[in-house]
Amino acid sequence: MDGGSKTSARPEKNKGVINLPAGLLGFEQARNYILLGSQEEAPFMWLQMADEPGLSFLVVEPCRVVENYNPDLADEDVEFLGLSNPEDALLLNIVTLHEDGSVTANLKGPIVVNRYTLVGKQVIPRNVSDYGLQHPIAAATTAPMA
Amino acid sequence: MLVLARKRNQNIVIDGRIRVRVVRLDRQVVKIAVEAPRSIPVFRLEIYEDIQKNNHSAATRGARKAPRLTRKQFNPTDTQGRQ
Repeated sequence: MDGGSKTSARPEKNKGVINLPAGLLGFEQARNYILLGSQEEAPFMWLQMADEPGLSFLVVEPCRVVENYNPDLADEDVEFLGLSNPEDALLLNIVTLHEDGSVTANLKGPIVVNRYTLVGKQVIPRNVSDYGLQHPIAAATTAPMA
Repeated sequence: MLVLARKRNQNIVIDGRIRVRVVRLDRQVVKIAVEAPRSIPVFRLEIYEDIQKNNHSAATRGARKAPRLTRKQFNPTDTQGRQ
């Protein structure tokens, strides 16, 4: 094994690291992320930038907090991610903790990850207008805002 | 950047396969029809900007606590037995 190239094309080498070749909208240069979770925080998880620790996103699988969420992926996104069927895809939606204590999820721009290759992309589904940018989640923050 | 003046029902063709047509023209609003192959995503600019802004405001530095779901939203097959 060589010294560990971050841009290696071999998925085994980067196991556990989610690679977003296009980054996130607004963070196009941040391509590698680690998904962190704990039983205590479930179903929420943290998507942490591997290249700049400390900058993280709270994420959640939408099936845990939203009903009837069926983002219709563009063909080229399905192709880009190498998805053979829907079960191959892990969906993660970015969660915002608001000043007033409310919690919302962005359903307009889900992060779709191929479970096997760990390659992902923040996509805009074809039915984006059916969903909200700040969809309320029934949750409460447990600590005062930092 | 190309700036073209079009009247109602006139068209612009991009790359030989994307067609843009002015459908309606009012004082404040222009209604535009875009015909493109399915492989080409077409969205209002605001979608991209809104998601970008949302990403920026959601990004956190340092430790924050995840929220707790209220009981109703728990997956019914969850065996945690949390209040």
